[in-house]
Amino acid sequence: MTFDEVVAIIVRSLMISGSATALASVWSIPTAMKLVMSDSRASRVLIDVSNALTSMPTVILGLILYLVLSRSGPLGSLGILYTPIAITIGQSLLITPYIISLTVSLLFEKRREVWETALSLGATRWQAAATAVKEGAAQLITVMLIAFNRAIGELGVALMLGGNIKGFTRVMTTAIALEVSRGDFSLALTMGGALLTLTMLIAITTRLVSKIL
Amino acid sequence: MTQPHRLFITLTLLALIAVGAVIYQQYLTQGGQVLRVATTTSLYATGLLDALGEAFRKSHPGAVVQFIAVGTGEALRRAEMGDADLVLVHAPALEAEYIAKGVLGEGVIFAYNYFMIVGPSEDPAHIAGKDPVAAVREIYRAGELGYAFFVSRGDESGTHVREMTLWRLAGLEPDGKSWYLETGSGMAETLRVANERRAYTLTDVGTWLKLEKELKELQPLVAEGDILLNIYSAYIVNQNKNNELARLFMEFITSEEGQEIIREFLPMFRPIGQDTIEELRQRWELLKEV
Repeated sequence: MTFDEVVAIIVRSLMISGSATALASVWSIPTAMKLVMSDSRASRVLIDVSNALTSMPTVILGLILYLVLSRSGPLGSLGILYTPIAITIGQSLLITPYIISLTVSLLFEKRREVWETALSLGATRWQAAATAVKEGAAQLITVMLIAFNRAIGELGVALMLGGNIKGFTRVMTTAIALEVSRGDFSLALTMGGALLTLTMLIAITTRLVSKIL
Repeated sequence: MTQPHRLFITLTLLALIAVGAVIYQQYLTQGGQVLRVATTTSLYATGLLDALGEAFRKSHPGAVVQFIAVGTGEALRRAEMGDADLVLVHAPALEAEYIAKGVLGEGVIFAYNYFMIVGPSEDPAHIAGKDPVAAVREIYRAGELGYAFFVSRGDESGTHVREMTLWRLAGLEPDGKSWYLETGSGMAETLRVANERRAYTLTDVGTWLKLEKELKELQPLVAEGDILLNIYSAYIVNQNKNNELARLFMEFITSEEGQEIIREFLPMFRPIGQDTIEELRQRWELLKEV
């Protein structure tokens, strides 16, 4: 594997998992807000379901989505199986329960100190929830970071939906798996080291950024 | 007071930009016609397919060949689902099944090599030089006595299918025995397990030659016998999305240029010659039955 190829794989991984995290945040954070706000029995059950779904094996999610996106599946006409966008969708679904669960626990924590104060100052419920989210922005970034790390480090979805196609859907984890199967342990370990270094750098950067916020 | 909709708009915009970037990159990469080839792992892991794919791209600019490397069983299954235009496989019995089902259309033989039984150097079951079926009988006997282990792919790959054929020809059923280990993974991983456990296993010669150096505990013991012939075929999937390109690629790998590339991979893979093709076809018909 050439150096250019490795760089391309790293950039591709960042783009796919980054967009998956952004996409999942769009529906997960408001969902978490809604769940905390309503505080009904139904929402508690939903929070339990979300917590349980964090244990979803990536290959099972990959298989389910494969059957949906396959040419003979219900969404086969879209023709997105074995493309980067399929991995993005799969990973965004994979990390949805993570973001919901972590945001919910973050909001419950912020609830007393920020939320209720905001309410007492005459805010609407959504405004109060949004204030709590904003007050917890630093932790929320950590939540998204954990979700991103889960996405970039997973193998099952990327392999089932992407197919590990060279120069197209090959991401870091599938490249590592391929090198192991090819018997090139040193290249696999190098890629693994690159993946860890990368996530660590991102973690440090976000910590510094969230300090400024 | 924080306005909730501002938060959502920011998040949504961010996501749209990110997803847009992925789609844009996809669009850039995917220009031209795309051929999806589901292939067996041994062809891919040895680097043969990348070599063939690159040469094909040179002579057919604008064509994009995407290889999805899975076992033969999974490749055929994915073809049945309509997610591949062409398959490269090596399990005549399974191929015949999918031809009968109407999944596979026209096909050609494009390369061959051999399977072999490798095992620990001291050969506790005394199989060296024996006939393959007699060898698995000896392994079974030694396994029952506690002298030997056998590692199986257990993944319905071409190699696994052939291994099952050997046991069936020997009239034995190793499934569930304590000395019979199923890895459920690729050939390289399975060879490594055999190496660590000092066990016997069936391998294709290509993967063996690629990893031979690091498998210090193992050596080839049985490599002779008609039943060990390993024939690689390409088939156009009936329900394909790119018939023209599939046909061109199939013609390319059997053309002189394609066969020359395969020849460079000797002795991992052998090209087909005018004199061998008829015999290979007959042998394929025989292997289909066993």
